[in-house]
Amino acid sequence: MGAFAEIMFGGLFQGSLYAMMAVGLALVWTTIGVFNFAHGVFMMLGAYVAWQFVSLGLPIAVALPVAVVVMAGVGWILQASVVRPLIGRPNIVLVVVITTLAAGSLIENGVLTLWGPRSKQLPSLLEGNTVIGGVGVSLHQIAIIIITPLILAALWAFLNHTRLGLALRAVAQNEDASQLVGLNVTALYGLAFAIAASLAGLAGIFMGGYRFMTPVMGSDPLLKALIVVVFGGISSISGPIFAAYLIGFFEAACSYYFGLYWTPALLFAVLILMLMVRPEGIFANQSRGLA
Amino acid sequence: MTSLPSPVIGAPGRPSWKSEAVGVALAFLLMALLPLVFGDTYTRHILIMVFIYAIVASNWDLSLGYGGVFNFGHLALFSIGVYAYGLLTKAAGVDPWVSLVASGVIATVAAVLVTIPILRLKGIYIILVTFGFAQLVMQVILSQSDVTGGTQGMVRIPGLYLFDHNMIRDGKIGYFYIALALLFLSTVFLRVIVRSRTGASIVALRDNEEYAISRGISLARQRIITLAASAFFTGIAGAFYAAYQRNASIDVFGMSLATIILSMVLLGGTSTIYGAIVASFVLTIFSEAMADFGPWRPIITAVLIIVVMLAYPSGLSGMIRSIWNALAGRLKRPDAALAGKTEERTAA
Repeated sequence: MGAFAEIMFGGLFQGSLYAMMAVGLALVWTTIGVFNFAHGVFMMLGAYVAWQFVSLGLPIAVALPVAVVVMAGVGWILQASVVRPLIGRPNIVLVVVITTLAAGSLIENGVLTLWGPRSKQLPSLLEGNTVIGGVGVSLHQIAIIIITPLILAALWAFLNHTRLGLALRAVAQNEDASQLVGLNVTALYGLAFAIAASLAGLAGIFMGGYRFMTPVMGSDPLLKALIVVVFGGISSISGPIFAAYLIGFFEAACSYYFGLYWTPALLFAVLILMLMVRPEGIFANQSRGLA
Repeated sequence: MTSLPSPVIGAPGRPSWKSEAVGVALAFLLMALLPLVFGDTYTRHILIMVFIYAIVASNWDLSLGYGGVFNFGHLALFSIGVYAYGLLTKAAGVDPWVSLVASGVIATVAAVLVTIPILRLKGIYIILVTFGFAQLVMQVILSQSDVTGGTQGMVRIPGLYLFDHNMIRDGKIGYFYIALALLFLSTVFLRVIVRSRTGASIVALRDNEEYAISRGISLARQRIITLAASAFFTGIAGAFYAAYQRNASIDVFGMSLATIILSMVLLGGTSTIYGAIVASFVLTIFSEAMADFGPWRPIITAVLIIVVMLAYPSGLSGMIRSIWNALAGRLKRPDAALAGKTEERTAA
């Protein structure tokens, strides 16, 4: 019972964070067709912005939404400065990799200069601990496990049932046709980046509530998000979400049975094997589009 | 696959074998004379690092630029060279020079292994798998801490030797010329490949995969050749790095090194080989010149990379070409500048 509860809890918790990160990556890839290597830095910056507001005296309940809005702006600016000017160039995928990497390094070192290297911590969403199924857990983690599916469901509803969301999916499916019917493609690109950045920022705030923040805290989650999108297929939103929880459970089970040391190696071995068998991802069909 | 700018093989204006050989010989002769100008070991150390970076970056240009294969595990091949040399010389007691060559072979084998899963993949998926490969290699090295030292790394790795020459108290002159010789061999090797029929078929696969395959080029074979060829001198550069630094650390897998080398490839301009080498010089010297700026150094470098990439997507070589065209146009006849501009646009 203890083992089961521990794996369930660990899987749900890690899966939630991975899902939040991976969805943003997939959103940007499907709409713009580029890979955002500054995504991990978005996560870190979200946590630091929230920390700044908290240290100014705002309660976390206020600092959190403010920081998320700030991150949306950051995402938009990044898109407008290092991605949009390159759209239409034949080697855009490669050039965007280097411009987002450079922008990520810029933000990372900026944060280091501005806030210093000392580790910081955000207040928890909910204080206190509880025991479920023989496993001691903090209420902060429980809150994350409950809030994340709600946010992802809201994103799903936005993409499927609002005009703006449908417009985003239209751009993802066929850019030329969307432009023909009068959609503002440039603005939608910005929107995709803004949503991705605020989701990453939110994940960073969640993470900053139970772990120390450093300017490099985003690099490992970015890596995990990459694995998630490979597993789930990058061309959809639902695929990465399922894959995120699957990998969360896989990691929890691996570290329970084989130890923390072997978990990443096992994960990557499974990843490479799966790519040889099913390169487009477990849950994906080969077409590009948000669903 | 994307079509990156490149000099078309056999196109008019492509330098002949002879003039290119003379140019390369002159450039390397010039570099060989550098220690006469720079007597201090610090400048020589910087130059040795430039040579190592230049080897890694120019070999990456073969797979990334010419092959159009987004191999993000290139630095893992370098790291494999580092650790292969460390393990061979220290744990197995193999002769350093034999280990140096063996590290190149091991990196080549690793490149072939990583090519197998990406044979069926395209674009972004290749980035993801090769990225995963790099992480896998890192995790294996971390977990085998008994022999690799794990996060502590390996220290006191045997260095290279040259007859009875004292490599430690010679003002780094020995390592300088070995590094230069390796860069020379690597450059000649790469240029011979890209100018050969194999090179032409690699570029053909990149520019029009379906047509190239229909003309009888084997995608699988050429992709394996591309990756394997780009790995050999990368592995040797890694081995040389380990021999020169006398230690191996897990930092070689870090994103910062990968970002620097990738900026050299892209800043120099892909599909040139020489561009990556020139960019290694420019970026390293630029970075050294800003040593006083402290924490602002990476920020300024990042801004510089973004600005150059936005203004000249084909990198420094595109920048030089457009400046050259503008100058030549002003000197010769007015419509030459216009011709240069259209050429630049088609290249981009």
